[in-house]
Amino acid sequence: MNTIKRVPWLGAAVVVSLAATALMALVIAPSDASQGDAQRLMYLHVPAAWLAYLAFAVTAIASVLWLVPRTRSITWDLLAGASAEVGVLFTGLTLAMGSIWGRPIWGSWWEWDARLTTTAVLFFLYLGYLALRRAGGSPDARARRSALAALVAFVDVPIVHFSVNWFATLHQQGTVFNAKMQVEISGTMAATLVLAVIAFTLLYGYLVVRRMELLRLEEGFEERELARAIAERIAQESPEMPAGVEMETV
Amino acid sequence: MDHNWPYVAAGYGITAGAVGAYSVWLLARLRRTRRSLPDLPDLPHLP
Repeated sequence: MNTIKRVPWLGAAVVVSLAATALMALVIAPSDASQGDAQRLMYLHVPAAWLAYLAFAVTAIASVLWLVPRTRSITWDLLAGASAEVGVLFTGLTLAMGSIWGRPIWGSWWEWDARLTTTAVLFFLYLGYLALRRAGGSPDARARRSALAALVAFVDVPIVHFSVNWFATLHQQGTVFNAKMQVEISGTMAATLVLAVIAFTLLYGYLVVRRMELLRLEEGFEERELARAIAERIAQESPEMPAGVEMETV
Repeated sequence: MDHNWPYVAAGYGITAGAVGAYSVWLLARLRRTRRSLPDLPDLPHLP
């Protein structure tokens, strides 16, 4: 069985970078002149949103690589599934942090704003994708329908990103990737945001590697259980051929 | 103290809770699955 190489340094890097992010975001970075301390939620909201984009982009690319016969491999299907699951976690956090940030700044937990609504749609699209992966069928059938669903769901990612440019929204324009491509943050705040993005990206990498490892083990476990059941059935039907005896493969 | 701190605390608490809970679930399930694999006997090659 192929196993994904363990990455002990990645786990340590995740813990250290997240601790440094918390220190920078909560203690060292100054509070915002207009939003006060509520702006500190940006150091969670923006990296979580970035990871949602990254995770679903990885899912889409892995799905394409599975669909192309020349590059088809179970690894791409497992990567797509692992990345989507972690992406759903971070999309949920993006929505939660946005809501908590919106309450003191907008005076509302939720608005049917273009950015918020398309992000909520994204969350439910990928929840549906994960549900589809759990539906029955052979690994090939599962991989095929999941890959197609991932490509359809990914259409919403650019809609989410550009919704603040296409529609009149309550949500602010991008702080870094905006229409003018003008970075609107500097100093300690910018350094904290960059550190938070790096820390969250490392966390994403760690979780995806571990989730892929688990999926691969479970896949092998199911195959072995099935093979054992078949071998037992054959042994029952042919009592002269005991189970556990090595047979020639045709 | 800024009156927005409870929102900040809630945000960081929810994020730590969600990421921590998912990581613990994932690592525990990974350890359990790794442990259960050697229990399965080697199987004969099927004809």
